[in-house]
Amino acid sequence: MSEASHNAKASRSAFQRLLQAVSSQIARHSSSLLLFMVFCVVIAVGMFMIGDLHTATDQAQRMYAGSVQGLRQIGELQYEAQETRRSTLYALTTNDSNLQVEYADQSRKADGLVTEGIAQYLAGAHIPREMELGQRLQRDWAAYLKVRDEVLASILEGSTKEAVDMDLTGGVPSFDRVRQDLEEVKRLYDEQASEQLKAVGLSSRRSVLRLVGVLCFTLLFAIASVWVIQRSKMLSALKLAKMQMDFVASVSHELRTPLAVICASAQNIADGVVDEKEKLAKYGSVIGHHSRQLTELVNQILLFASTHEGRHRYALRPLQTSAIIESVLTNTRELAEEAGFTVEKSIESNLPPVMGDFSAICQCLQNLVLNAVKYGGSHPSIAIRAFRGGEDVPYGEEVRISVEDHGIGIDGSELQQIFEPFYRSPVVKAAQIHGTGLGLPLAKSIAEAMGGRISVVSKVAVGSRFTLHLPASQVVGAENAAERVAQL
Amino acid sequence: MRRLLALLTMVGAAMLLLEVSPGTAKGDPSPAAQASADQNLAIIVNQTNTIDDITLKELRTVFLGERSHWPNGRRITLVMMDPGVPERKAILRDICRMNETEFSRHFLQGLFTGEVFVSPKTLSSPTGVRKFVFNVPGAIGYVRASDVDGTVKVIRINGHGVDDPEYPLRFEARDSK
Repeated sequence: MSEASHNAKASRSAFQRLLQAVSSQIARHSSSLLLFMVFCVVIAVGMFMIGDLHTATDQAQRMYAGSVQGLRQIGELQYEAQETRRSTLYALTTNDSNLQVEYADQSRKADGLVTEGIAQYLAGAHIPREMELGQRLQRDWAAYLKVRDEVLASILEGSTKEAVDMDLTGGVPSFDRVRQDLEEVKRLYDEQASEQLKAVGLSSRRSVLRLVGVLCFTLLFAIASVWVIQRSKMLSALKLAKMQMDFVASVSHELRTPLAVICASAQNIADGVVDEKEKLAKYGSVIGHHSRQLTELVNQILLFASTHEGRHRYALRPLQTSAIIESVLTNTRELAEEAGFTVEKSIESNLPPVMGDFSAICQCLQNLVLNAVKYGGSHPSIAIRAFRGGEDVPYGEEVRISVEDHGIGIDGSELQQIFEPFYRSPVVKAAQIHGTGLGLPLAKSIAEAMGGRISVVSKVAVGSRFTLHLPASQVVGAENAAERVAQL
Repeated sequence: MRRLLALLTMVGAAMLLLEVSPGTAKGDPSPAAQASADQNLAIIVNQTNTIDDITLKELRTVFLGERSHWPNGRRITLVMMDPGVPERKAILRDICRMNETEFSRHFLQGLFTGEVFVSPKTLSSPTGVRKFVFNVPGAIGYVRASDVDGTVKVIRINGHGVDDPEYPLRFEARDSK
């Protein structure tokens, strides 16, 4: 049961970390994401426009093909109907039975084509009017053929007069009806073609409107995106400039105060104001203290600059956690004692060694301890704990070193920002607590360079707990230690 | 001298043989050619004609123009092939029992006296005959049995179909001469 709850907890924390990482990446690359979105929108719009144009072209092509085919069909029907009659009449002009048979044959071939054309027209008829017209044409054509057959028979029999009479009384009227039917078919086709043309025109206008709309939208979207990007960049630049100004002001103050103390002390000694041995020792101590403070400050700035530019190299090797903590406490003891802080230390037994650069990890933890002293408020106690972390980490087992204070705490909305270079909380500024805004970013950079990370839990007026997560060295393997010389 | 006589006799015999069997001399000795030369002549009418069988005697009256209408009331149109065509020769010999001159004279005289009602139409090819018969409901003509197709109707003669051995109209090889 406990193992299950442990697993669930581990999954939750992994998920939260993932979310945190994603949101941090999004915040960092918002301009690039926006540009990518603009690119995607432009591509999508382009594809839509191509598709729309393709549809319109298809429609126009279909209409053109339909028009050409329809016109050809009607033209062929008219021509072959005329040819049927023309060949029949040619047979009247000769007494040669061989020629008459030839003409009769031509007439029959032509009438076969007409009959086939009418059947095709009927097969392609969709609306009732087309069907009705096709059927009427079929009937009238059959009626004409009946008369034509009789006329041909009379011609071939040699009864020319009978043939002419029959053609005039029956053939001409029935052929006229066929001709009218064909004209009507043509008219109907013209009407349909003009309707189709109208539909294509309408569709084309719709396409144009759609395209204009889409283009306007894309343009507006692109303008808005560029505006947002520019604004975001400008705000970032302003923020950075402000933070740099704050940093310069802060650093100036941090530099000026010890320098002023050193200068005043040196001047007093030089002027012979201080001549007693005890006082001289005290002045020496003050000068030494402020000199160290200055050195620390300069070192920190230089270290941040080197890590920020990726020039710093770390030599990773297995380290004992107790040694790290001892070193950090030794380095910060004087400061903590001066501030009246008590430091509680707790190290879990049988902790595996961690993989890292000794001085870098010490610097990282030292920054956390100094922050705990600086922002410890009215409860001067700090707890440093080292314990074995969970196994739900990508690199296997880890060791966690937490630094906990009971000071002013950090607001939830600022938890992400405190790791940004030069950031200083308005609360801290208002409380006149001096600093450069480089301590936590530097600690974070170091932790990440060691393959670990820093997490923070804080509540305003209750306190903060910063935890350094470091990979245990047996997981990484001693043989890989040399490979983990990372360049930042 | 005796040798010369024997040689002349052999040459004469060879020439006689060549004269008797021209097909052989022309290099067409196949049995199929011989069979096609001897095939039957089909009497054809329009598909709408109700007549199915006719006697040789009735056929003679029709081909001599002495009968003007079919039982269905349609006027008879006689279709002949050009003079000299083997099929025409066979018809004149087997049905009309006349030669070309007698046949021509019969129609000239008959049309003049009014005893003949039909003047025959003359066509140059079996296809023309077939197409004519197809187009004219009262037409009657003749073609070789192998030239018959579905556009026309073949009628029986004396109850015999064109494939019967007793069929009386046979187109023989000698008609080709």
